Amino acid sequence: MKRGTLIVKRNVIVLCVVVLVVGMLSLAGWANYQNRKQQAELLQVQQAKAELVPDNASVARMVSPLVGKPAPNFTLTNLKGEKVSLASYKGKAVQLNFWATWCAPCKIETPWLIDLRKQYAGQGFEILGVSFDDLDKEDKFLLAKEKTGIEKSVAQLQIPYPVLLDGDSISKPYGDPEVYPTSFFVDRSGTIVAASFGLNSKAELEGNIRKALGVAN
Amino acid sequence: MLAIRVAAVVAVSALTLTAQAPFPGLQSSAPRGKAAVAYLFPEQVTVAAGKPSAVDLHFRVSDGLHVNSHTPHTEDLIPTTLKLKDAAVQLSKVDYPVGRDFAFDVDLKEKLNVYTGEFIVHAEFVAVKGDHLVEATLRYQACDNSTCMPPRSIPVAIDVIAK
Repeated sequence: MKRGTLIVKRNVIVLCVVVLVVGMLSLAGWANYQNRKQQAELLQVQQAKAELVPDNASVARMVSPLVGKPAPNFTLTNLKGEKVSLASYKGKAVQLNFWATWCAPCKIETPWLIDLRKQYAGQGFEILGVSFDDLDKEDKFLLAKEKTGIEKSVAQLQIPYPVLLDGDSISKPYGDPEVYPTSFFVDRSGTIVAASFGLNSKAELEGNIRKALGVAN
Repeated sequence: MLAIRVAAVVAVSALTLTAQAPFPGLQSSAPRGKAAVAYLFPEQVTVAAGKPSAVDLHFRVSDGLHVNSHTPHTEDLIPTTLKLKDAAVQLSKVDYPVGRDFAFDVDLKEKLNVYTGEFIVHAEFVAVKGDHLVEATLRYQACDNSTCMPPRSIPVAIDVIAK
Protein backbone atom coordinates (compact mmCIF):
# COMPACT_ATOMS: atom_id res chain seq x y z
CA MET A 1 0.00 0.00 0.00
CA LYS A 2 2.74 2.35 1.04
CA ARG A 3 4.66 1.55 -2.14
CA GLY A 4 1.53 2.23 -4.20
CA THR A 5 1.05 5.63 -2.56
CA LEU A 6 4.66 6.52 -3.24
CA ILE A 7 4.29 5.63 -6.91
CA VAL A 8 1.17 7.80 -7.22
CA LYS A 9 2.89 10.73 -5.54
CA ARG A 10 5.90 10.38 -7.78
CA ASN A 11 3.76 10.28 -10.90
CA VAL A 12 1.91 13.39 -9.79
CA ILE A 13 5.22 15.18 -9.34
CA VAL A 14 6.40 14.01 -12.75
CA LEU A 15 3.16 15.21 -14.32
CA CYS A 16 3.50 18.61 -12.65
CA VAL A 17 7.06 18.97 -13.90
CA VAL A 18 6.05 18.06 -17.45
CA VAL A 19 3.16 20.56 -17.38
CA LEU A 20 5.51 23.25 -16.05
CA VAL A 21 8.08 22.54 -18.73
CA VAL A 22 5.50 22.55 -21.52
CA GLY A 23 4.17 25.84 -20.14
CA MET A 24 7.65 27.36 -20.14
CA LEU A 25 8.24 26.14 -23.70
CA SER A 26 4.98 27.75 -24.84
CA LEU A 27 5.82 31.02 -23.11
CA ALA A 28 9.28 31.09 -24.66
CA GLY A 29 7.81 30.29 -28.08
CA TRP A 30 5.26 33.09 -27.75
CA ALA A 31 7.92 35.56 -26.60
CA ASN A 32 10.20 34.63 -29.50
CA TYR A 33 7.32 35.03 -31.97
CA GLN A 34 6.46 38.48 -30.55
CA ASN A 35 10.10 39.49 -30.70
CA ARG A 36 10.49 38.35 -34.31
CA LYS A 37 7.26 40.16 -35.25
CA GLN A 38 8.45 43.41 -33.64
CA GLN A 39 11.87 43.15 -35.28
CA ALA A 40 10.21 42.62 -38.68
CA GLU A 41 7.96 45.64 -38.16
CA LEU A 42 10.91 47.75 -37.05
CA LEU A 43 12.86 46.72 -40.14
CA GLN A 44 9.88 47.56 -42.35
CA VAL A 45 9.64 51.03 -40.81
CA GLN A 46 13.40 51.63 -41.05
CA GLN A 47 13.42 50.65 -44.72
CA ALA A 48 10.52 52.98 -45.49
CA LYS A 49 11.41 55.89 -43.21
CA ALA A 50 11.92 59.32 -44.77
CA GLU A 51 15.26 61.02 -44.20
CA LEU A 52 16.43 64.61 -44.14
CA VAL A 53 18.91 65.21 -46.97
CA PRO A 54 20.36 68.49 -48.23
CA ASP A 55 19.32 69.56 -51.70
CA ASN A 56 21.44 71.54 -54.20
CA ALA A 57 21.05 74.68 -52.12
CA SER A 58 21.99 72.80 -48.92
CA VAL A 59 18.43 73.09 -47.63
CA ALA A 60 17.41 69.98 -45.74
CA ARG A 61 14.40 68.24 -47.27
CA MET A 62 12.65 65.05 -46.33
CA VAL A 63 13.17 62.26 -48.86
CA SER A 64 11.32 58.95 -48.83
CA PRO A 65 13.03 55.66 -49.80
CA LEU A 66 9.61 54.50 -51.03
CA VAL A 67 9.87 56.66 -54.16
CA GLY A 68 10.30 54.32 -57.11
CA LYS A 69 8.79 51.38 -55.24
CA PRO A 70 5.31 49.85 -55.36
CA ALA A 71 2.90 51.55 -52.99
CA PRO A 72 2.16 49.14 -50.12
CA ASN A 73 -1.39 47.96 -50.51
CA PHE A 74 -3.94 48.47 -47.78
CA THR A 75 -7.64 48.26 -47.04
CA LEU A 76 -9.23 50.86 -44.78
CA THR A 77 -12.76 51.91 -43.96
CA ASN A 78 -14.29 55.16 -45.17
CA LEU A 79 -16.68 57.37 -43.22
CA LYS A 80 -19.66 55.36 -44.43
CA GLY A 81 -18.13 52.17 -43.02
CA GLU A 82 -17.28 50.78 -46.49
CA LYS A 83 -13.97 49.04 -47.11
CA VAL A 84 -11.69 50.82 -49.57
CA SER A 85 -8.59 49.19 -50.98
CA LEU A 86 -5.69 50.99 -52.70
CA ALA A 87 -5.44 48.13 -55.20
CA SER A 88 -8.88 49.03 -56.56
CA TYR A 89 -7.39 52.31 -57.85
CA LYS A 90 -4.85 50.66 -60.13
CA GLY A 91 -4.97 52.36 -63.51
CA LYS A 92 -5.53 55.74 -61.84
CA ALA A 93 -3.01 58.22 -60.48
CA VAL A 94 -3.59 58.54 -56.75
CA GLN A 95 -2.46 60.95 -54.05
CA LEU A 96 -2.46 59.38 -50.59
CA ASN A 97 -2.89 62.38 -48.34
CA PHE A 98 -2.07 61.64 -44.68
CA TRP A 99 -3.76 64.27 -42.54
CA ALA A 100 -5.55 64.86 -39.21
CA THR A 101 -8.28 67.16 -37.94
CA TRP A 102 -5.83 68.75 -35.49
CA CYS A 103 -3.35 69.58 -38.24
CA ALA A 104 -3.64 73.25 -39.22
CA PRO A 105 -1.30 73.06 -42.26
CA CYS A 106 -3.41 70.12 -43.52
CA LYS A 107 -6.45 72.39 -43.53
CA ILE A 108 -4.54 75.07 -45.40
CA GLU A 109 -3.61 72.70 -48.25
CA THR A 110 -7.04 70.99 -48.46
CA PRO A 111 -8.70 73.67 -50.65
CA TRP A 112 -5.71 73.39 -53.02
CA LEU A 113 -6.17 69.62 -53.16
CA ILE A 114 -9.85 70.05 -53.92
CA ASP A 115 -9.04 72.45 -56.78
CA LEU A 116 -6.35 70.17 -58.21
CA ARG A 117 -8.57 67.12 -57.98
CA LYS A 118 -11.27 68.94 -59.92
CA GLN A 119 -8.71 69.98 -62.52
CA TYR A 120 -7.17 66.54 -63.04
CA ALA A 121 -10.02 64.09 -62.24
CA GLY A 122 -10.86 63.85 -65.94
CA GLN A 123 -7.35 62.54 -66.59
CA GLY A 124 -7.78 59.73 -64.07
CA PHE A 125 -6.57 61.35 -60.85
CA GLU A 126 -8.02 60.68 -57.39
CA ILE A 127 -7.11 61.64 -53.84
CA LEU A 128 -7.51 59.35 -50.85
CA GLY A 129 -7.52 61.30 -47.60
CA VAL A 130 -6.15 59.06 -44.84
CA SER A 131 -7.02 60.33 -41.38
CA PHE A 132 -4.45 59.87 -38.63
CA ASP A 133 -6.81 61.01 -35.91
CA ASP A 134 -6.64 58.69 -32.91
CA LEU A 135 -9.49 56.21 -32.69
CA ASP A 136 -10.33 54.66 -29.30
CA LYS A 137 -11.39 51.30 -30.64
CA GLU A 138 -11.96 49.90 -27.11
CA ASP A 139 -14.49 52.60 -26.16
CA LYS A 140 -17.58 52.67 -28.41
CA PHE A 141 -18.78 56.01 -27.09
CA LEU A 142 -15.42 57.74 -27.62
CA LEU A 143 -15.00 56.09 -31.01
CA ALA A 144 -18.36 57.42 -32.18
CA LYS A 145 -17.43 60.89 -30.90
CA GLU A 146 -14.07 60.78 -32.70
CA LYS A 147 -15.68 59.67 -35.96
CA THR A 148 -18.22 62.48 -35.65
CA GLY A 149 -15.33 64.92 -35.19
CA ILE A 150 -13.71 63.71 -38.41
CA GLU A 151 -17.04 63.88 -40.28
CA LYS A 152 -17.50 67.43 -39.06
CA SER A 153 -14.04 68.46 -40.28
CA VAL A 154 -14.65 66.80 -43.65
CA ALA A 155 -17.95 68.66 -43.98
CA GLN A 156 -16.41 72.00 -42.93
CA LEU A 157 -13.55 71.59 -45.42
CA GLN A 158 -16.04 70.38 -48.07
CA ILE A 159 -13.81 67.42 -48.94
CA PRO A 160 -15.30 65.57 -51.92
CA TYR A 161 -12.78 62.72 -52.14
CA PRO A 162 -12.82 59.53 -50.04
CA VAL A 163 -11.62 59.95 -46.46
CA LEU A 164 -10.35 56.77 -44.86
CA LEU A 165 -10.05 56.14 -41.13
CA ASP A 166 -7.38 54.64 -38.90
CA GLY A 167 -4.28 55.75 -40.77
CA ASP A 168 -2.15 54.50 -37.86
CA SER A 169 -2.89 50.93 -38.92
CA ILE A 170 -1.06 51.40 -42.25
CA SER A 171 1.63 53.72 -40.95
CA LYS A 172 4.52 51.24 -40.72
CA PRO A 173 4.82 50.23 -44.40
CA TYR A 174 4.75 53.94 -45.24
CA GLY A 175 7.68 54.67 -42.93
CA ASP A 176 5.73 55.80 -39.86
CA PRO A 177 5.48 59.44 -40.93
CA GLU A 178 5.98 61.75 -38.00
CA VAL A 179 4.88 64.96 -39.68
CA TYR A 180 1.62 66.01 -41.28
CA PRO A 181 0.51 66.61 -43.90
CA THR A 182 2.40 63.87 -45.73
CA SER A 183 1.49 62.75 -49.25
CA PHE A 184 2.54 59.88 -51.46
CA PHE A 185 1.87 60.20 -55.18
CA VAL A 186 1.17 56.88 -56.90
CA ASP A 187 1.17 56.40 -60.67
CA ARG A 188 -1.22 54.27 -62.71
CA SER A 189 0.93 51.16 -62.30
CA GLY A 190 0.92 51.49 -58.51
CA THR A 191 4.45 52.90 -58.14
CA ILE A 192 5.19 55.79 -55.77
CA VAL A 193 6.67 58.54 -57.96
CA ALA A 194 6.91 61.32 -55.35
CA ALA A 195 6.45 62.02 -51.67
CA SER A 196 5.96 65.33 -49.89
CA PHE A 197 6.25 66.16 -46.23
CA GLY A 198 4.67 69.20 -44.64
CA LEU A 199 2.87 72.11 -46.22
CA ASN A 200 4.12 72.64 -49.76
CA SER A 201 3.02 75.15 -52.36
CA LYS A 202 0.08 74.45 -54.63
CA ALA A 203 2.51 74.50 -57.57
CA GLU A 204 4.62 71.79 -55.99
CA LEU A 205 1.52 69.69 -55.29
CA GLU A 206 0.48 70.09 -58.92
CA GLY A 207 3.95 69.08 -60.11
CA ASN A 208 3.70 65.83 -58.13
CA ILE A 209 0.20 65.13 -59.43
CA ARG A 210 1.43 65.56 -62.99
CA LYS A 211 4.29 63.15 -62.24
CA ALA A 212 1.77 60.58 -61.03
CA LEU A 213 -0.30 61.11 -64.18
CA GLY A 214 2.80 60.76 -66.34
CA VAL A 215 2.25 64.22 -67.78
CA ALA A 216 5.18 66.52 -68.53
CA ASN A 217 5.49 69.61 -66.34
CA MET B 1 11.15 5.00 -13.33
CA LEU B 2 11.00 5.33 -17.11
CA ALA B 3 8.47 8.16 -16.80
CA ILE B 4 10.83 10.04 -14.47
CA ARG B 5 13.75 9.62 -16.88
CA VAL B 6 11.68 10.82 -19.84
CA ALA B 7 10.44 13.81 -17.88
CA ALA B 8 13.98 14.64 -16.80
CA VAL B 9 15.22 14.58 -20.40
CA VAL B 10 12.34 16.78 -21.56
CA ALA B 11 12.90 19.23 -18.69
CA VAL B 12 16.63 19.58 -19.34
CA SER B 13 16.11 20.01 -23.10
CA ALA B 14 13.44 22.62 -22.58
CA LEU B 15 15.48 24.54 -20.03
CA THR B 16 18.40 24.57 -22.47
CA LEU B 17 16.21 25.89 -25.26
CA THR B 18 14.81 28.63 -23.08
CA ALA B 19 18.19 29.56 -21.63
CA GLN B 20 18.24 32.83 -23.59
CA ALA B 21 16.30 35.71 -22.07
CA PRO B 22 12.65 35.02 -22.77
CA PHE B 23 11.85 38.57 -23.80
CA PRO B 24 14.87 39.78 -25.76
CA GLY B 25 14.42 42.99 -27.63
CA LEU B 26 10.74 43.49 -26.91
CA GLN B 27 10.32 47.19 -27.44
CA SER B 28 8.19 49.47 -25.40
CA SER B 29 5.68 51.50 -27.33
CA ALA B 30 7.15 54.80 -26.16
CA PRO B 31 6.83 57.59 -28.72
CA ARG B 32 9.79 58.05 -31.00
CA GLY B 33 11.71 61.23 -31.67
CA LYS B 34 12.65 64.13 -29.45
CA ALA B 35 9.83 65.76 -27.48
CA ALA B 36 8.93 69.28 -28.60
CA VAL B 37 8.30 70.39 -25.02
CA ALA B 38 10.59 69.84 -22.05
CA TYR B 39 9.73 70.15 -18.39
CA LEU B 40 12.34 72.36 -16.72
CA PHE B 41 11.62 72.71 -12.99
CA PRO B 42 10.84 72.43 -10.08
CA GLU B 43 11.87 68.86 -9.29
CA GLN B 44 10.92 69.13 -5.65
CA VAL B 45 8.39 71.23 -3.75
CA THR B 46 7.49 71.50 -0.08
CA VAL B 47 3.83 72.13 0.63
CA ALA B 48 1.52 72.34 3.63
CA ALA B 49 -0.27 69.00 4.06
CA GLY B 50 -3.98 69.08 3.37
CA LYS B 51 -4.00 72.67 2.05
CA PRO B 52 -3.90 73.95 -1.54
CA SER B 53 -0.34 75.00 -2.33
CA ALA B 54 0.67 76.95 -5.41
CA VAL B 55 3.49 75.68 -7.64
CA ASP B 56 4.76 77.23 -10.88
CA LEU B 57 5.72 74.55 -13.40
CA HIS B 58 8.18 75.74 -16.03
CA PHE B 59 8.21 74.29 -19.53
CA ARG B 60 10.10 75.11 -22.71
CA VAL B 61 9.01 74.61 -26.32
CA SER B 62 11.89 73.73 -28.67
CA ASP B 63 13.12 76.51 -30.93
CA GLY B 64 11.23 76.80 -34.19
CA LEU B 65 8.16 75.04 -32.82
CA HIS B 66 4.90 76.10 -31.24
CA VAL B 67 2.22 74.22 -29.34
CA ASN B 68 -1.47 75.06 -29.07
CA SER B 69 -2.29 77.01 -25.94
CA HIS B 70 -4.83 75.65 -23.47
CA THR B 71 -7.51 77.60 -25.36
CA PRO B 72 -6.98 77.16 -29.11
CA HIS B 73 -9.33 79.05 -31.39
CA THR B 74 -11.11 75.95 -32.72
CA GLU B 75 -12.28 72.83 -30.88
CA ASP B 76 -10.59 70.36 -33.23
CA LEU B 77 -7.15 71.63 -32.23
CA ILE B 78 -5.53 69.84 -29.32
CA PRO B 79 -5.00 72.07 -26.27
CA THR B 80 -2.01 71.90 -23.95
CA THR B 81 -3.28 70.26 -20.78
CA LEU B 82 -1.76 69.22 -17.44
CA LYS B 83 -3.16 66.15 -15.69
CA LEU B 84 -2.35 64.31 -12.49
CA LYS B 85 -3.68 61.00 -11.17
CA ASP B 86 -2.31 60.25 -7.77
CA ALA B 87 -3.92 58.90 -4.61
CA ALA B 88 -1.95 61.15 -2.27
CA VAL B 89 -1.68 64.36 -4.28
CA GLN B 90 -4.59 66.10 -6.00
CA LEU B 91 -4.46 68.87 -8.56
CA SER B 92 -7.01 71.34 -7.22
CA LYS B 93 -6.50 74.13 -9.74
CA VAL B 94 -4.54 74.78 -12.93
CA ASP B 95 -4.05 78.20 -14.50
CA TYR B 96 -2.55 78.25 -17.96
CA PRO B 97 -0.76 81.21 -19.50
CA VAL B 98 -2.39 83.25 -22.22
CA GLY B 99 -1.16 82.18 -25.66
CA ARG B 100 -0.16 84.48 -28.47
CA ASP B 101 -1.68 84.54 -31.91
CA PHE B 102 0.24 82.87 -34.71
CA ALA B 103 -0.48 82.42 -38.43
CA PHE B 104 1.26 80.38 -41.09
CA ASP B 105 2.96 82.47 -43.80
CA VAL B 106 0.78 80.99 -46.53
CA ASP B 107 -2.52 81.71 -44.81
CA LEU B 108 -2.48 84.73 -42.55
CA LYS B 109 -6.24 84.49 -42.01
CA GLU B 110 -6.02 81.18 -40.13
CA LYS B 111 -4.92 82.32 -36.64
CA LEU B 112 -3.79 79.89 -33.98
CA ASN B 113 -3.29 80.59 -30.28
CA VAL B 114 0.03 79.13 -29.21
CA TYR B 115 2.88 78.90 -26.72
CA THR B 116 6.47 79.32 -27.82
CA GLY B 117 9.71 79.38 -25.86
CA GLU B 118 9.31 79.12 -22.10
CA PHE B 119 5.87 79.05 -20.52
CA ILE B 120 4.66 78.59 -16.97
CA VAL B 121 1.66 76.60 -15.78
CA HIS B 122 0.44 77.65 -12.36
CA ALA B 123 -0.85 74.63 -10.45
CA GLU B 124 -2.28 74.11 -6.97
CA PHE B 125 -1.66 70.81 -5.21
CA VAL B 126 -3.36 69.34 -2.17
CA ALA B 127 -1.25 66.59 -0.66
CA VAL B 128 -1.59 64.29 2.33
CA LYS B 129 1.28 64.40 4.77
CA GLY B 130 4.39 62.62 3.58
CA ASP B 131 6.90 62.48 0.76
CA HIS B 132 5.29 61.72 -2.58
CA LEU B 133 7.00 61.25 -5.93
CA VAL B 134 4.24 62.18 -8.35
CA GLU B 135 4.19 62.03 -12.13
CA ALA B 136 1.82 64.44 -13.78
CA THR B 137 1.57 64.55 -17.57
CA LEU B 138 1.51 67.46 -19.97
CA ARG B 139 -0.28 66.75 -23.24
CA TYR B 140 0.41 68.98 -26.21
CA GLN B 141 0.49 69.05 -29.98
CA ALA B 142 3.38 70.81 -31.72
CA CYS B 143 3.96 72.26 -35.18
CA ASP B 144 6.60 74.27 -36.96
CA ASN B 145 6.00 76.64 -39.87
CA SER B 146 4.90 73.93 -42.27
CA THR B 147 4.38 70.62 -40.49
CA CYS B 148 2.58 69.28 -37.45
CA MET B 149 3.56 66.41 -35.23
CA PRO B 150 1.11 64.02 -33.55
CA PRO B 151 -0.15 64.88 -30.05
CA ARG B 152 2.23 63.78 -27.35
CA SER B 153 2.39 63.56 -23.55
CA ILE B 154 5.48 64.13 -21.45
CA PRO B 155 5.98 63.17 -17.81
CA VAL B 156 6.23 65.93 -15.22
CA ALA B 157 7.97 64.31 -12.26
CA ILE B 158 7.87 66.21 -8.98
CA ASP B 159 8.84 65.21 -5.46
CA VAL B 160 6.08 66.68 -3.30
CA ILE B 161 6.98 66.91 0.39
CA ALA B 162 3.88 67.62 2.44
CA LYS B 163 4.52 68.69 6.04
